[in-house]
Amino acid sequence: MARALTFWLMGITARRVEVEAHLVDGVPSFVVVGLADRAVQEARQRVRSGITSAEYRFPGTRLTVNLAPAQERKEGSGFDLAIALAVLAVSRQVPVERVARVAAAAELGLDGRLRPVRGALAMAEAARRAGVEALIVAAESAVEAGLGGGVEIIAARDLRHAVEILEGRAEPAPVPDPPAAEDAGGPDLGDVRGQPRARRALEIAAAGRHNLLMTGPPGSGKTMLARRLPSILPPLDPGERLEVTRIHSAAGLLAPGTLVRRRPFRAPHHSASAAALVGNARLRPGEVSLAHRGVLFMDELPEFARPALEGLRMPLEERRVHLARAHGAVTLPADCIVVAAMNPCPCGMAGDPDRECTCSTVRRSAYLARISGPLLDRFDLRVEAPRAAAHAEPGEPSEVVAGRVASARQILAAGGPRLEPGATALLDRAVGRLHLSGRGADRARRVAGTIAALAGADRAGEEHMAEALSFRGAAG
Amino acid sequence: MSAEAELRVVAAAARAGVDPGALARRVGGAARLLSSPASRLDALGVVPGLAGELAAARRADIGEYVAELAGKGVVCVARSDTAYPAPLLELADPPLAIFAAGAAAGPPPAIPGRALAIVGARRAGAPALALARRLAAFAAGSGVCVVSGLALGVDAAGHQGALEAGGETVAVLGCGPDVAYPRTNAGIHRRILETGLVLSEYPPGTPPAPWRFPARNRLIAALAGAVLVVEARARSGALITADHALDLGRDVLAVPGWAGSPAAAGTNGLLKAGAGMIESEEDLAAWLGLEPPSAAVPPAADAALVEAAAAGPAHVEELAERLGAPAAELAAALSRLELDGWIGRDETGRYLALRPSGRAGRG
Repeated sequence: MARALTFWLMGITARRVEVEAHLVDGVPSFVVVGLADRAVQEARQRVRSGITSAEYRFPGTRLTVNLAPAQERKEGSGFDLAIALAVLAVSRQVPVERVARVAAAAELGLDGRLRPVRGALAMAEAARRAGVEALIVAAESAVEAGLGGGVEIIAARDLRHAVEILEGRAEPAPVPDPPAAEDAGGPDLGDVRGQPRARRALEIAAAGRHNLLMTGPPGSGKTMLARRLPSILPPLDPGERLEVTRIHSAAGLLAPGTLVRRRPFRAPHHSASAAALVGNARLRPGEVSLAHRGVLFMDELPEFARPALEGLRMPLEERRVHLARAHGAVTLPADCIVVAAMNPCPCGMAGDPDRECTCSTVRRSAYLARISGPLLDRFDLRVEAPRAAAHAEPGEPSEVVAGRVASARQILAAGGPRLEPGATALLDRAVGRLHLSGRGADRARRVAGTIAALAGADRAGEEHMAEALSFRGAAG
Repeated sequence: MSAEAELRVVAAAARAGVDPGALARRVGGAARLLSSPASRLDALGVVPGLAGELAAARRADIGEYVAELAGKGVVCVARSDTAYPAPLLELADPPLAIFAAGAAAGPPPAIPGRALAIVGARRAGAPALALARRLAAFAAGSGVCVVSGLALGVDAAGHQGALEAGGETVAVLGCGPDVAYPRTNAGIHRRILETGLVLSEYPPGTPPAPWRFPARNRLIAALAGAVLVVEARARSGALITADHALDLGRDVLAVPGWAGSPAAAGTNGLLKAGAGMIESEEDLAAWLGLEPPSAAVPPAADAALVEAAAAGPAHVEELAERLGAPAAELAAALSRLELDGWIGRDETGRYLALRPSGRAGRG
């Protein structure tokens, strides 16, 4: 019998799978057992063709491959290479002990070529934990797998190349150095004219990681503003880059040989389903996880389906997603800033000085009622973005704002400013006079702290609280 | 005795789902209607259901009906009852009975001595709504009850202003007093029930119907010493209330609108016909004989901001433009002024002045 180690991806975590190959005399057959899904069953055809194309011999007796642990329902196509190596080892075409000391994660082409798999980084990390000497991957996965550290990454072109490396007769393909992290990048705030209030809200959102809801007529630049939020956020630190790369790789969004270098900006269309937003039963990460450490932009918020919006409530609160399915549950990170945009009414003209709103009261309230109170509560900042005057001045460039955001984050990381009695008194008055709810008051406290931090203050005073109250929006 | 006959007729009509007022007038009173033989009722064209109920009502225990209403928190006062609201008797066609609900429903219902009706368009502009609210708060704060119809727009703003000032307010409905219509105003309906009075000539459970609203307007006009129309288009329901007020010899007041504006065609028409012009608390105080409001002045630094907001509802950016100041610096001042009641925000988030800044000359 021969063994080889491989992995399957559950959510964004790599789970180890031991491939056991066993040969007995009998009618030639090839059986895969161990709760494998369709794609794994199809691995038999790829492995058989791959072995033949690499000019090895496919055993002509009864071949059984077991994927252990057998009680775990596995899926994916990354088992191919490990199965092929185990088959070659059990049929004495490659030393059994060489194969047993490595892990493999790649799909086989019919010509024996290796193809990259989703989640290479997570698998490299799992290989390190499993204590194997090396992980064999397709050349396209090498850069990403190399980020895992602590385990040698062997990049092979095809099955024959992989075998020859194991036998010490060939050199692995060179693994390029990972590209350096990029600074902010993306479109610059300096391009946007006018909108001083929305800009300020973006700055506060960036500093305090507050979710932001912008209300304004079509064409007032809400999308333009949202796209510029990543440019004022601090660059990803190495740990964050790993986290984000792991998620994007698991979702299959990483182009071969690349890594995530910038804060993600995800803008799902409003027709997106709940599964697309939060993740589905096959444990693929949803948009809210893809936006981890970055920005989730939801344009036309009320147009999203109700279940999709309600599904977002827990992830926004806990900053992670729990996905459950029949055979176990996974938790995915979902720590993003949500920027949502909406029109003030269905026709978009309410409150515009130059146009008349044509919506009936009923239609307008129905539009606003699509966003439930509990979801609205997740938005600390609410701001109106009216149509900017044509002669409005361009604002500060992102670099300047990002500087203030970075120093505010330092103050907030050290515990953040406390509320002065004046600020508390003002808030109490707002609770009485403006019918501010308990949650509304909590939001104002948080925002006031961030505003104080942006001002470099160690205490949040009355002025900071007064400004915070101005971001509570028309809906209270 | 007559009050009891009226109650019997009202109970029978409520069970049959019919409005008995017109019928009773045609026969010459509730007692006559009650004692009419079936043949006479048939000749009058009375629906069979009501004829049956009337026959049953002659013998029924009327106390049972009163108790049934009390179970719903509703008090029913017949026209001949001494507790019947006296102002309604000035009408040519006072309701046979009035249904009252709420904290002040009694019996007898606490009908306000001094009342101002505030009525206007359902789809009024934000400045009109803000003014309605402000004037209602001033009137209610000065001890004048605010009467209105709980409709969307100006009606709701009037009730809200009165509630916020902690004053009296009465809602007269075109449906049963227990029916919260429109649904949007269910919250106001509940708050009025908690502290004030809801009146209707329709028994509990009666659904709203288009013909019931104009009819209810005559009750609003009768209950109030003066009717203030805040914003109304030509042929608006608020003008019906104003007409009734003129018939009853009540004062008709109106808020002026811009010349030629369709939204203000109704109110401008009233002013042309001689209605009292109301632009501020001072005007209202003069008409109602109230103490004028104390001449409060916003903090000097912020007076210009209040004045800028008085030029019409505006977003922060536009206020900044009016003042020639950076928008980012206005946010804190706007919140403070909002807390002190100088400015408010409309439903689209625009700021608007709620009180004159005090720098403008007094008219």
